[in-house]
Amino acid sequence: MRGFLLNRLSQSLILLLIVSVIGFVVLNLLPGGPLAQFGLDPGMTQDDLDRLKEQLGLNRPLLMQYLDWAWRLLQGDWGHSFRDGAPVLAVIGRHVFATLLLMGTSTAIAIAIGTWIGIRGATHRYSLFDHIATVGAMVALSIPTFWFGLVGIYIFSLRLGWLPAGNMYTIGDGSVLNYLHHLILPSIVLSLVHVAIWSRYMRTATLDAISQDFVKTARAKGLSERRVIMKHVVGNALLPMITLAGVQLPSILTGALVTETVFTWPGMGRLFLDSLGYSDYPVVMGLLMFSAILVILGNLIADIAVAIVDPRIRLG
Amino acid sequence: MTERSNTKSTYSRRDALRLMAIGGAAGLIAPNLLGKPAFAQNPPASPTGRVIVGFSQEPTVFNPLMPHTECDDAVHFSVFDALVRMDSKGVLQPNLVVEVPSQKNGGISEDGLVWRVRLRDDVRWHDGQPFTAEDVKFTLELITNPKFRAWRTAGHSLVRDIKVISPTELTWRMEEAFAPYLSFLAETFMVPKHILEKEADPNTAAFNQAPVGTGAFKWAQRIAGDHIELVANTDYAGEGPYLERLVFKYIPDMTVLYTQFKSGDIDLVDQAFITADHYEEASKLPDRAVMLERGASVESIYLNLEKPQFKEPAVRQALYAAIDRKAILEGLYYGVHNPTETFMPQNSYYYNPNLPAQEFNIERARQILDEAGWVPGADGIRVKDGVRLSFANSTTSGNHLREQTQQFLQQTFAEIGVEMTISNLPAAVMWGDFWLKSQFESAISGVTNVIAGDPDVSNRLHTKAIVAKGGKGSNTGQYSNPEVDALLDKGTRTFDREERRAIYLRVQEIVRQDLPFLPLFAYANVFGRKEGLEGFEANSNARVASWHAAGWHWKG
Amino acid sequence: MTALAANAGPSRWWRSRTVRRFTSHHLALLGVAMITLLTLACVFGPHLLPYDSLYIDLRARFSPPLTGHHYLGTDPLGRDVAARLFMAGRTSLLVAFFAMLLSTLIGTLVGVIAGYRGGWIGAALMRTVDGFLSFPSIFLLLALAAALKPSPAMVTVIVAVTSWMEVARIVEAEVRSLREREFVLAGRMLGLSGTHIMFREILPNAMGPIIVASTLTVARAILMEAYISFLGYGIQPPLPSWGNMLEGAQQYLGSAPWLAIIPGAAITIAVTSFNFIGDGLRDALDVRDDHI
Repeated sequence: MRGFLLNRLSQSLILLLIVSVIGFVVLNLLPGGPLAQFGLDPGMTQDDLDRLKEQLGLNRPLLMQYLDWAWRLLQGDWGHSFRDGAPVLAVIGRHVFATLLLMGTSTAIAIAIGTWIGIRGATHRYSLFDHIATVGAMVALSIPTFWFGLVGIYIFSLRLGWLPAGNMYTIGDGSVLNYLHHLILPSIVLSLVHVAIWSRYMRTATLDAISQDFVKTARAKGLSERRVIMKHVVGNALLPMITLAGVQLPSILTGALVTETVFTWPGMGRLFLDSLGYSDYPVVMGLLMFSAILVILGNLIADIAVAIVDPRIRLG
Repeated sequence: MTERSNTKSTYSRRDALRLMAIGGAAGLIAPNLLGKPAFAQNPPASPTGRVIVGFSQEPTVFNPLMPHTECDDAVHFSVFDALVRMDSKGVLQPNLVVEVPSQKNGGISEDGLVWRVRLRDDVRWHDGQPFTAEDVKFTLELITNPKFRAWRTAGHSLVRDIKVISPTELTWRMEEAFAPYLSFLAETFMVPKHILEKEADPNTAAFNQAPVGTGAFKWAQRIAGDHIELVANTDYAGEGPYLERLVFKYIPDMTVLYTQFKSGDIDLVDQAFITADHYEEASKLPDRAVMLERGASVESIYLNLEKPQFKEPAVRQALYAAIDRKAILEGLYYGVHNPTETFMPQNSYYYNPNLPAQEFNIERARQILDEAGWVPGADGIRVKDGVRLSFANSTTSGNHLREQTQQFLQQTFAEIGVEMTISNLPAAVMWGDFWLKSQFESAISGVTNVIAGDPDVSNRLHTKAIVAKGGKGSNTGQYSNPEVDALLDKGTRTFDREERRAIYLRVQEIVRQDLPFLPLFAYANVFGRKEGLEGFEANSNARVASWHAAGWHWKG
Repeated sequence: MTALAANAGPSRWWRSRTVRRFTSHHLALLGVAMITLLTLACVFGPHLLPYDSLYIDLRARFSPPLTGHHYLGTDPLGRDVAARLFMAGRTSLLVAFFAMLLSTLIGTLVGVIAGYRGGWIGAALMRTVDGFLSFPSIFLLLALAAALKPSPAMVTVIVAVTSWMEVARIVEAEVRSLREREFVLAGRMLGLSGTHIMFREILPNAMGPIIVASTLTVARAILMEAYISFLGYGIQPPLPSWGNMLEGAQQYLGSAPWLAIIPGAAITIAVTSFNFIGDGLRDALDVRDDHI
């Protein structure tokens, strides 16, 4: 186990290095840059822009800038945002809650509904329900998330007026109910794809489990269908589900990015797009590292889960 | 045509008002009357109520001396004070000074080189410390401190030998006479010496996240990505505030911004205001006051005059004649904005209303090009001396009204044998070197040419402001006319309003003739607020609607 | 294509079985039918409609569907939405198709080399794949779109550059498992070159997963083009694409909802069809179900 973790750690560090290099190069490939937002300011002269460029250290060779950034990061200094001068971690920290709330809610929805559809589909294999679920999952995977969000806003906000068209809460009303009201539409939109994936996965896992000997034994012992399913099948399928959750973690983040844009949700996805728009390199790099760490964690969780469920797979 | 005459009559009425106002400013209006618009009759005795202002961009920079964009101004204007303030009529009013320095009152020497400023003695910082001349000195010196990431330094870099004479008086010397500096001071907010001098690095000071000013509102809290909350400064030296709380809410989508105004979630729409397509609907909303106010920005097609296609005035004239502005303004922009022939804001005292009006005439455009020797080639695109009359047009990607305008222009330009392709870029790319170093062929841009109402446009039109030719400024179209240069130089040295007016009227005449850029329209901003929010005044000399929240109050 | 031809000889038997299996997959057939229909509509549709996709008529702007001969209404410039939809389909489908070809090419190349060579070359290549996969795909898309001039060819490249990793992973795994198989060992003993073994012996046997993955890549590519064009970074007007037709549609959601609904529906239909086909191919080609 220790060898596995060490191996994993070194691999992760290499991955972080690759991500940071690609990210840094791609970011700096962009013409324009963080000072472009002042390009239309009537009072800022080229002198001002050149001075700021120097003060921000942006006129140094790219390699120097990268090494400086990486060296500081190793010491725990993520740098300061170009936009408001606040430490990058603080900037990201301010947006974490909104994204976690959205991701958490939609993951909960995806697991609950996906599991139900998956198990029902497996136990009622080739039924009408199963067929609809199969086709539905495919269609759900094919709908552009941003467009689904737009249609949702059109129907439920503009037409019916039931749900707010955006934002996390109404100012001056910080009640839980108000948050929930605002959460409904974006979390449903975000969970759509994941309901599809979970339900497909759960269906396969349940089918696998049903065909296994111990389930047959349990059935033979006269346990009710429901108990067999709940106890053995779900229990057995749970670890693979955790694997899936691990692997899905980063894709939920990407999904959140799109959803947050459409619903003006003040989370990390919006921060990412805004920062990219302003070429706020330190914040963008911070977010890229953050998501890379999430990918690594997700894969790690998945691997450990696989190892626990199947002792034949040697970690390493 | 009717629209044109409307514009004129509006102008003359406004002009009359403006002249009255100027007369008042010269003699009648006593200091510190700013913030008492005639219609603010019954403000409450103590600050009450809350106003939520919506922005489509998030204010993030709270140190007013650091680089920031429009929306940040709202926080600065509310939390801080400047020495002077530009009112809605384009007249400077005292803010932290006792009177606006001028050559007449001796505040500025005859040669324009020595400035003397007298300050109010009753102003305190939000933490209770008195505001003094030391703070002004500190602020002006911080701006030119090479270690400090200052915003604009134009004008400030000319200041020398700042001397504090008493806590309420200081003087300085200018390296050269520079009349616009007085207006620049209206956007130079004073920061507290006693807090910032202790900081090792002013760029990362805690102050920048929780500012302390002398303004009508005190910093309360910020929920990043969402809103900023300010509370009334009950010890405010000036008029107001009448509101207990002021909230700046960030709503990153213009449509949602409007929807929230409609639903009553926000009380006032600030930058970037109500979109043109919602104007008609908005103006019919019950319990909402929606006003169409002229802004300072002018939307134009900028031509890179160093490109061979655009060197010839005939081409620029032909293109201008081929723009169906009426269709663009009424069809695409819902008739909200106004046609203009110049870069000067139409509200400005320096605006020239007597320029020849553009006329849409495809035949005339063709004729101009024919006469100039541009002959259609095999593909229908005109050619002269091996140069094809074909160019790319760029603007911020995702700005769909502009994209619609581009596609519309594309069609009409094709009719006169001109090919225009569209090549849009994200804002961070578009307005960087691509724009500043004149790498574009043509661009559509909404530009504010004047700073705090001052008419100096050297930064945009002077030959020495062409960065691509080693200059310093943002004359990105690379316009160069010696006569304009001389006039602009004279304008910056002239302090007298009337003399300056004559200079800039002439500049506008020449520029209209040369057509270095093709004006599409002057922006009008659609302000919307809840009925009952009183004391609100639009001000095209400030970049935000919330330039003077101190005077706002709910009808009580 | 040569790989498929090479396959035809010794393994003719599975071909008929594959075809039989595929044709019994109803959803896949539906997918093929819908894509055929969509393609025909995009090829011939514009010629049958009375309006040109670029013809601007400001007086007719925002006409709702079924106004006169504007069967699907008009856009903010008064252009016919139906004509634009079909022209946009050409752009979007072509971009997606070529992006698929390019990304399959890159992915297959990387996957085969990494899987066959293994060792540090394989590790380096696969870590690079991991690295690319660790980015939110939007980041690479937007950053590249901002850096490169977004012509249709560039958009194709951008989409391909951000979607080759899946194929690389699948191919690498497949090749790694085939590497020690008898026919490969036999080839080595016969003294065949590495390149020959990689591309003539191993690759044809890994064709199944590649075909499935590339079908799903077309689906993904359509979505990606749509998203970057929706944000205004992709295909530039006046050339229509399904994505850039959606640009700005959010603003007109209240007043002209068809501007959002129609192109989005087209995207959904196209993507669903490709996913159906991919699903059918997976069953028909007996590809393990380890990615949905």
